[in-house]
Amino acid sequence: MSSDPYNAMVREYFAAPQHAGDLEGAAIGYFSDQGMQIRLAATVEGERITTMRFRAWGCPYVIAAAEATCRRFEGRPVAALEEFATAQIMQELAVPIEKTGRILVLEDTVRSLGQAIRDSA
Amino acid sequence: MSNSPDIVYLDYAATTPVDKRVIARMQEVQATAFANAASSHAAGRQSLDVVTSSARQLGALLNVDPDALLWTSGATESNNLAILGAVRHRAHRGKHLVTMRTEHKAVVDVFKELEKQGFAVTWLSPGDDGRVRPEVLADVLRDDTQLVSIMHINNETGIVQDIESLGSVCREHNVLFHVDAAQSVGKVHLDLQALPVDLLSLTGHKIYGPNGIGALYVSSRPGVHIEPLMWGGGQQRRLRPGTLPVDLIAGLGIAAEIAAAVIDDEYSRLAILRETLWHGIRAIDGVHVNGDLNNGYPGILNVGIDNVEGESLLLALEPLCVATGSACNSQSQEPSTVLRAMGRSDLQAQSAIRFSFGRQTRPADVKFAAETYRSAIERLRGIAPERAT
Repeated sequence: MSSDPYNAMVREYFAAPQHAGDLEGAAIGYFSDQGMQIRLAATVEGERITTMRFRAWGCPYVIAAAEATCRRFEGRPVAALEEFATAQIMQELAVPIEKTGRILVLEDTVRSLGQAIRDSA
Repeated sequence: MSNSPDIVYLDYAATTPVDKRVIARMQEVQATAFANAASSHAAGRQSLDVVTSSARQLGALLNVDPDALLWTSGATESNNLAILGAVRHRAHRGKHLVTMRTEHKAVVDVFKELEKQGFAVTWLSPGDDGRVRPEVLADVLRDDTQLVSIMHINNETGIVQDIESLGSVCREHNVLFHVDAAQSVGKVHLDLQALPVDLLSLTGHKIYGPNGIGALYVSSRPGVHIEPLMWGGGQQRRLRPGTLPVDLIAGLGIAAEIAAAVIDDEYSRLAILRETLWHGIRAIDGVHVNGDLNNGYPGILNVGIDNVEGESLLLALEPLCVATGSACNSQSQEPSTVLRAMGRSDLQAQSAIRFSFGRQTRPADVKFAAETYRSAIERLRGIAPERAT
């Protein structure tokens, strides 16, 4: 068993996130709580998400999970946002039990993004 | 060790690498003085000679009679033995004790346990500069005060308490004075013949000696006595029984001798290193020192930063090996009680980074640390939302 608290995916997504940043004219989903903040931005063509970016303030798992979420939704239908659950991401990132609450709020952020897309349609 | 390709070790306040001369001495002793130092035969006497000469080396560093030293497993045991041992011996005098909120857990938890047992503990808060004033200490002493325990150099901030003045207050009130000197022995001069200190804890692994060995100084001044915490043999005047680890003791002895030889040069060199690091990062927006650059121990620089999350900062700082403001152990996510006692918020405490330097730290290491810290802050702030806390 490794003594490293972070697996390779957390380290990769934290060290070199490809989706960190902003998108001009994008719909925005946002969540803030003590100890973390996540902002998701997405552009849409038709019913499909074309580009997704994040900004995050939190522990490495929060940043890695935000990156993983962006990677997951680019190219997928907007409707998929409503079905999003963090279980698979948490498993892939091996999120420790005491940090799962922070990752769960990603679901609220993603739904907030879905609502923003619908509102802007 | 400090600068292998994978790591830059700047966590000397946690532990120091064992000096090669210490390793050589311990290997020699393991091969030649293996016998039980309590045995009366020739081999036992050979081991006892090693213990005696090691006590002289440590005694010379502290300017004390070697007989005033008890070998322990480290500073945690020394603190327990000093506080609990003294309190048990003086239980008839009263049940009031004094310590600081900024002490190491090895002291704090002992006092918390004594509170559960019915003792009244006054927890002193530090002033703005992290210190406690002698007059503040004098004000809280009572007729039934038995013991005051205050650390010399703070392990998280490097703040140095004025143990001479604080000890004088204790002497005036006939109260025992214990000092946790785990961070100061071998780093700054300590003359225990001159200082009004009754009990002093130290450990080997902070001065390039081995883990698992420490010592407790017990003054021979009338009225200073401790009760043992363990029973099982007549070693060390029955105050700390158990077979002596001769090799570890020899390691601590030679480590003390080496420390005495380099103490002034090393202090000056560390001051330059700390200044170099601070100069390299002080322009960062929201950065501040948790401590005292003018009067603090120069081997420690604790830096706080606004609007950056602590755990991510620590990961972004790799390959630097540094400590966070999450207590003194990396397993804890609780904000440092030391920094909280100094008025820092939970978020400020969690984003604090302690850089600590030592004999193998070179100017290039601290320049690299400064550059790594700057780029980590820039990167994490670049990822954060504008409304970040």
